[in-house]
Amino acid sequence: MTFCLDTYLQESENYDILITRAGFKDCKKVIEDHAQEIIHINAGEKILGVRVIGIPPIPIGIDDKRGTVTLPYTKPCYGTSVVELPVDKEEIDKIKALRYQK
Amino acid sequence: MKKALILLGCPEAPSQTPMAVYSVYKLTSLGYDVTVASTPSALKLLEVSDPENFYVKNKIDIESCLENLEEKSFDLFVGFVHKDAAVSYFVTFYHILNTKSIALVFEKDSELLESYVESLKESTDATLVSARAYHNPTPLKVKFDRVIKKLEM
Repeated sequence: MTFCLDTYLQESENYDILITRAGFKDCKKVIEDHAQEIIHINAGEKILGVRVIGIPPIPIGIDDKRGTVTLPYTKPCYGTSVVELPVDKEEIDKIKALRYQK
Repeated sequence: MKKALILLGCPEAPSQTPMAVYSVYKLTSLGYDVTVASTPSALKLLEVSDPENFYVKNKIDIESCLENLEEKSFDLFVGFVHKDAAVSYFVTFYHILNTKSIALVFEKDSELLESYVESLKESTDATLVSARAYHNPTPLKVKFDRVIKKLEM
């Protein structure tokens, strides 16, 4: 089954929120400071079943050992949050394939 | 027929809904088939403002719109920007659509307004219409009219 981030965040408690209701620049810094490895992607790329919203290059944090990704999550009225959640290796590989090309 | 997409942000700022209806009116009069993408709450405000869909004919939920958006699927993109999240949404739509774009940037706080404008300048080549505005849409309307006049030429 295809992973859907929106559904996952509604139905699971297995994720961490690193910052919430913040500006995109602050969230970008949180991801860059937190993650072991950073992949930059373009705005609107689809990962984990959703289009990632933000100002490119958008950092996505990857932790291969723990099997987690850390990404910005934006809603119009609530600003941007940063969530870290466990995903399959297959999803991590898909994210790595989206590496930002300027 | 040329197609235009208007993207609304959080409906918290009173200027947004009247400017949205006005923008639809102006673009329709220029021959555009206009679609408005918004949150459910911004949509409710539009529906009450224009109960018989006299101005706003096509409406779509912002998430469905984003999900199915494709490059060049609209000839013109107009986005309302009055929050940090709206900057992110505008830039994202801009990069996916890769089409002629206008950002209507408004805020009552001049420092915030400047920061939104700077972020948009750094990450897009969109035409920026910015004004200190919150309750009163007139400063934004006057500047928007100037930009629209260029589209008419």
